[in-house]
Amino acid sequence: MKKRFLATMLCLTMAVTLFTGCSSSKNNTPKNNSTKETSTDSSKADNEAENVVDTAGDKADLSDANVAVFYYTYSDTYIASVRTALDKQLDSLGVTYQDYDSNSNQTTQNEQIDTAISTGATLLIVNIVTSGSVDASQAIVDKASAAGIPIIFFNRAVEGDAEEGTVLGSYDKCAFVGTDAPEAGHMQGTMIGEYVVKNFDSIDLNGDGKISYAMFMGQLGNVEAIYRTQYGVEDANAVLKANNLPELEYFDSSNSDRYQVDQDGTWSATAANNYMTTNLSQFNEENGNMIELVICNNDGMAEGAISALNVKGYNLGDGTSKTIPVFGVDATDAAKQLIADGKMTGTIKQDAEGMADCIAFLTQNAAGGKNVMDGTDSYNISANVSNKIYIPYATYTGE
Amino acid sequence: MICMGVKMNMVSNVKQGFVNYKELDKKDKFNFWKEALINNALYILLIIAVIYTYTQNQRFLTVNSIVNIVSLSAANIPIACGIAGCIVLTGTDLSAGRIVGLTACISASLLQSATYATKMFPNLPVLPIPLVILIVIIVGGIIGWVNGFFVAKFQLHPFIVTLATQLIVYGLLLMYIMINGNNGQPLSGLDKSFKTFVTGSVVSLFGVPIPNYVWYACIVVAIMWFIWNKTTFGKNMFAVGSNPEAANVSGVNVMKTTIMVHTLAGCMYGITGFIESARIGSNQANTGLNYECDAIAACVIGGVSFVGGTGKIRGVVLGVFLLRIIFVALNFLSINQNTQYIIKGLIILIACAIDMRKYLVRK
Repeated sequence: MKKRFLATMLCLTMAVTLFTGCSSSKNNTPKNNSTKETSTDSSKADNEAENVVDTAGDKADLSDANVAVFYYTYSDTYIASVRTALDKQLDSLGVTYQDYDSNSNQTTQNEQIDTAISTGATLLIVNIVTSGSVDASQAIVDKASAAGIPIIFFNRAVEGDAEEGTVLGSYDKCAFVGTDAPEAGHMQGTMIGEYVVKNFDSIDLNGDGKISYAMFMGQLGNVEAIYRTQYGVEDANAVLKANNLPELEYFDSSNSDRYQVDQDGTWSATAANNYMTTNLSQFNEENGNMIELVICNNDGMAEGAISALNVKGYNLGDGTSKTIPVFGVDATDAAKQLIADGKMTGTIKQDAEGMADCIAFLTQNAAGGKNVMDGTDSYNISANVSNKIYIPYATYTGE
Repeated sequence: MICMGVKMNMVSNVKQGFVNYKELDKKDKFNFWKEALINNALYILLIIAVIYTYTQNQRFLTVNSIVNIVSLSAANIPIACGIAGCIVLTGTDLSAGRIVGLTACISASLLQSATYATKMFPNLPVLPIPLVILIVIIVGGIIGWVNGFFVAKFQLHPFIVTLATQLIVYGLLLMYIMINGNNGQPLSGLDKSFKTFVTGSVVSLFGVPIPNYVWYACIVVAIMWFIWNKTTFGKNMFAVGSNPEAANVSGVNVMKTTIMVHTLAGCMYGITGFIESARIGSNQANTGLNYECDAIAACVIGGVSFVGGTGKIRGVVLGVFLLRIIFVALNFLSINQNTQYIIKGLIILIACAIDMRKYLVRK
């Protein structure tokens, strides 16, 4: 009995240290948490809200705002950086806010939105789970308009190109901050094309006058993944054609899909790594059919592919090993480091800070009782829909 | 001499079998073949699949490709060996994948190279590898212990317990990768010694390097085989798996055994996390997601039954290989991704059906 008690205590202590270890080493999160707590309390008790008002000073009018932010999943690298930036922005605005993790499940997100509205949210910021589905986004807009509160969508598309404006145009207190889904694909394709034109002979390892490429797709049925998969190659080919060079050729002629997709739909490095390892076992330099170019939907997959290449002695970044050009999207810190080390070639930067800034600006409008889209002229607004703001992408090939 | 004896024994066994077979009448003979065919259906299907893939794509059976299959399987062996123990106890473990994710991120953060710009713990020197292995085994073991404790103490079904711990571990993992301003960015920039230790190679087969983690998987298999077959704990595990009440009456400490099995499983996930960390090279919150599905499928295909109390380490290893060979073959045949889900599902379904059928016949 004594022994068991001891063991339990030991385990508990370890668990507790694990927790405290996490929070004490956080730089900004504890502050976040505390502000969040005081502000959540304030929504319950008006007296306390006034205290917050006093300390917030000139931003006093925003303290009535109760913002609910829904992220499609906490596990997404890019979304995590948006979350950090947005939390910081909302903290500095002095508004009450609550973050929700929808864990890649639209049902969960809808339920969370219902809960948030019933607890008195005055503004919804939604990173929708099912991207590009009018039905899913319309249902959420309807919830917001029934409650009469403004809603800001961000990052993931709320409607396909064909139905542009059907959802965003249906409610005047609604806005979208995101990226133009095809843009990343176009930019990646152009970057690849230009790189290949410049380095054609060194890329063409077997000297057959053609570049064979591998393509790793993040998720089936995701608009961003589809566009990146399509334009990443099409635009590169357009550049090659303009320079009288042959088009890129998929490495496995029997695969009619011309991509390999993460079957769990998580854009994971593991999937890319497993595919690449298997690919390299039959497509390599000894067989004279080596994969000469790797295109990935995101940087995570690029890292997985590079890891597989490393095992076979490629892309070691030591100046002597051969380097297969690998391209990604997102410009994560890890990818930037790989590019600096010469292990990766290029990526497309998604501006997390810029997106958070823009969302915070709209939040200020909405919370201050102004029109959501007030004073947004300096932003890049879609030509077709007046309440759709695009945060531009940028190519990144090193500092 | 012993070898000769075994040989003689085998020969006489086969002879005896043949005599028995001859004594059967026509109907029984037909049944004999039918049974043999169904009981080995999986292996027969596998052989057909291998031959078919080979005829379609000759590169399937090159040394390169075989080493690839072996190394991909090796990466999955520790987690499958761990989960197999839980299945022997008629349980399961849904937290396996997330524990792999957590331990992978822990290993990566402790073994980032000192010069890496966005290092999680900038002031931490690169720790000695054995220490990190010990840490992840302990972390995995603690979570496994918690699983086992709640299963044994409160008689909760492992499905519920591990469903809960899986969420807890995921939460911890999300917190872990946010600390020190890492903000959920993937953990990479691993130290060279770590990468070499796991993915480097000391032995080559016909010029194709075999990654080191294959040998680590072999060590894991040897240890697990010893634990399952040569220790009292192993015998107790099977006793508890087939009938906990009977085991209790015959003096087996059911609670201790259950906790130990889950703790051991947790340690195995820790090892898997350590290997995955270097093998993939990029560790984030998604790492390890759904790993338990493939591991459970491999165990069941290998004959570790959910009925409890049956299963062999040999079967687990075979199961992992079978599943992996099919996955790789689907790639070599360039089968459409949508169809791949269906084929995977069918394989698991058929394997389980054959497994249960054996059990029903025996009953």
